[in-house]
Amino acid sequence: MGAAAFVRLENITKRFGTFTALDRINLDIAEGEFLTIVGPSGSGKSTLIRLLVGIDDVTSGTISLDGTRIDTVPANRRPTCMVFQSLALFPHMTVGQNIEFPLKLRKMAPDARRARALELLRLLRLPESYYAKRITQCSGGERQRVALARALAFDPRIIVFDEPLSALDYRLRKTLEKELKDLHARTGKTFVYITHSLEEAMVMSDRIAIMRAGRFEQIATAEQIYSQPVSRFVASFMGEVNLFDLNGSDWGGLPVKLSPQAQAAVAVPPDWRGAVMVRPELVRFLAPDETADFTLNGRLHAEYALGSRVQYTVQAGDTPVIVERPFEQRLGSRSGDPVRLGWDAGAVHLIAEVAHGTA
Amino acid sequence: MERLERRLGFLSALPIMALLTLSFVMPLLVVAGFAIMPQKVFSLAHLPDFSSFRVIIEQGYYRSLLRSLGLAFLTTTILFVICWPLAYGMAKVFGRFTLVITLAVVMLLFVSENVRLFGWNLTLMKGGLLEGHMRAWLGTGFESPLYGWPVIVFGMVYVYLPFMLFPLAQGISLVPDDARLAAADLGAGRWRILFQIEMPLAAPGIMVGCLLTFVLSAGAIAEAKLLGGRSVVVLTDDVESAFTFGQNWPLGSALSLMLIVIVALLVLVPISRIDLDTLMGRKR
Amino acid sequence: MTDVRRSTRIALYGYGLLVLAVMYLPLVSVGFAAVSKARYLTFPIRRYTSEWMGAALTSPNVKDLVVTSLKVAVTVTVLSVILGFFGALAFARFQWRYRGLFQKLILLPIFFPQAVLGLALLIWFNALGVTPSWKTAVVAHLVWIAPITTLIIAIRAYSFDPALEEAARDMGASTTTVLREVTLPLLMPGIVSAGLFAFLLSWGNFPLSLFTSGVDATLPKWLYSRMVSGYTPQIPALGILSVIGSAALLLVGLALLRLLRRRN
Repeated sequence: MGAAAFVRLENITKRFGTFTALDRINLDIAEGEFLTIVGPSGSGKSTLIRLLVGIDDVTSGTISLDGTRIDTVPANRRPTCMVFQSLALFPHMTVGQNIEFPLKLRKMAPDARRARALELLRLLRLPESYYAKRITQCSGGERQRVALARALAFDPRIIVFDEPLSALDYRLRKTLEKELKDLHARTGKTFVYITHSLEEAMVMSDRIAIMRAGRFEQIATAEQIYSQPVSRFVASFMGEVNLFDLNGSDWGGLPVKLSPQAQAAVAVPPDWRGAVMVRPELVRFLAPDETADFTLNGRLHAEYALGSRVQYTVQAGDTPVIVERPFEQRLGSRSGDPVRLGWDAGAVHLIAEVAHGTA
Repeated sequence: MERLERRLGFLSALPIMALLTLSFVMPLLVVAGFAIMPQKVFSLAHLPDFSSFRVIIEQGYYRSLLRSLGLAFLTTTILFVICWPLAYGMAKVFGRFTLVITLAVVMLLFVSENVRLFGWNLTLMKGGLLEGHMRAWLGTGFESPLYGWPVIVFGMVYVYLPFMLFPLAQGISLVPDDARLAAADLGAGRWRILFQIEMPLAAPGIMVGCLLTFVLSAGAIAEAKLLGGRSVVVLTDDVESAFTFGQNWPLGSALSLMLIVIVALLVLVPISRIDLDTLMGRKR
Repeated sequence: MTDVRRSTRIALYGYGLLVLAVMYLPLVSVGFAAVSKARYLTFPIRRYTSEWMGAALTSPNVKDLVVTSLKVAVTVTVLSVILGFFGALAFARFQWRYRGLFQKLILLPIFFPQAVLGLALLIWFNALGVTPSWKTAVVAHLVWIAPITTLIIAIRAYSFDPALEEAARDMGASTTTVLREVTLPLLMPGIVSAGLFAFLLSWGNFPLSLFTSGVDATLPKWLYSRMVSGYTPQIPALGILSVIGSAALLLVGLALLRLLRRRN
């Protein structure tokens, strides 16, 4: 992104007492981007966005917007707006009063305020009659939309989301994820979104930043993170994948047979330490006459139905291997039956072991 | 914002802290100062001595201190036993009835304690509400229980009941129903559940309730005066006499100081351990 | 809640009613005594009169007592609500260094025998050269009541989401605007209950007034001096009128709180 970064976070450190929540973070955000920060709870993602909007102060480092430092500007004068996990809608005000609150602070005339509020209600596909409704009369999804309308009202340059969908049920969450992506496209605003669900991040984001223990593990597009995770942490964060230990040419007792192509795919120096990642949907059950670059004998352990897919665990030596295939191609075998597995050389991705924090 | 919060926190604490420094801490320091003054002086500009404490021992004032502490202990114990079932009901069994009890008991708090104790006097005296009606209907009355230490304890139990009841109810409401059900499911009997599940989990409420009632009844004065009819002299009586009729501030101060020290020892340790944020329902 | 046996539930309800009955029994006696015609009270009461209540209502002496009590209670209410509002913010909202210590210090006056506090204040006022009057009684009441209002408002402050204030600030509100537009309206039910408590506790307080109000007698103090010097029908008459006044105010206050809750 170079020097033209819209938002730039440089060397941000945040300590609470002796606890370091963020450790020398660097991040550039482009204008109009939908960036999602993903991490387990306690990884520092909430802290990061609270620093971005100014609710908390940085311990050291700088935040700049269009080349101007904003980390010393108090929250109420930053062109940022946050949508809170709890939404933080004012229970003592109506929907209209909530949306108009930031406009009233900016001394907009009552008529103009009302017009803007109604325009936002339309944008968020809420009926205009909601203008006079109490917050307590709105459903979870409606509140979500009111909070978005309020955040858009004063036209902030960046809107920050602190897991606003986490309290909703699965179906509503799926709908709102799509609406949010759509809203981003229509408004062209910069969205910074945090969540602990990589799945949610993949649906919406232009880029995803994976966070762990106060540092970024990987910042990349959804596709890159999916196919080329940089660490075991990122790989395992995406859900269940096969990670086989590999030290030089030692597979740690995994009874795997390699074709010449496979040998080339995993050719590493003898002192190399790390793992071989194989996605479960790329592992196949082999018919007796079938071949693959990597082949493996094992016994079927269990079968789990996952809706449109079905997952199997196979015990190969001491190592469990996960296999997934479409539900229509369910296996007829039973637990304990011998099976033969295989995958192609193109399916493997090598993850070099790096001591955490020295990257 | 954090820096701002730190400053705002300090600033908003300032008014009430100024009040408490000027009219709580300072008076107690003055009491402590007078406690080590010679007898019957009215200023702190004298060489300190410990004559007040000698008088307390030689003239038997320590007995009223022990008496007050004993009565307070008895009051606290009785209140705990009386209030537990009711607090339990309020926290776990009664629905809207809890609100009724709460309102009714809070309403009583607003009635001057001397009016309520005077009411007991009218209720329990010879020819009072109870004895008078009994004599009229049954022909025989009973000796009035007024003017003795048991009726003082009764009066204190009555006056300080809310201070045990509400903390206990709050404490019991912190006991998750699951814990009790799980214990019962695992085969624990009623008493085992009470002693090993409910009471330990309700401990913060129990502690606050017992401390409040003990401290308040140790320093009580109206019950002894209005129901005890001066037949039993409690500590606060002696303190008041020393300050007023006796015109012996150092003696009064020394007596107060002994009570204050005991109260402080009892209260400070548990209070410093309680996490007020969780007890009062902090969300984050 | 449903695992408690039916017999236990009935016993608990019965016990609750019994406790309430005993708690209110003395007020029943006072009530009857107030309307008994006989100058020397004996139960059962044979002839009733409202003359004592009437006399109490019209007596100029009583008027003075009520005025003094009201002056004290109103001043205490206003001051303790202001102190308690800011105290509660420091207690529950703001994260500042000595918050923990502050929380504990606030509790101490509540955990303190009031008669001893009254006497300690008496010699402190004396050392300062201040003559005790209704104003010193206000100070004494505040020491006990301001921490209580702080706690009541703090409980309310704990129950609302801190993100509300952060959101307001994030949208551009200054510190005072956040206070006026968000914090104050949301704390209002707590402030009303705190004011109600402050007034009623001050109105009925006896141990603190006894030692700190000097020559300005409040109603409870005057009643006490009459009680220890011998029975007159004026005592129950005034006592029960004071109780009725408190109850009426409590009902008005509760109605106000209901209104507030409906608005929110």
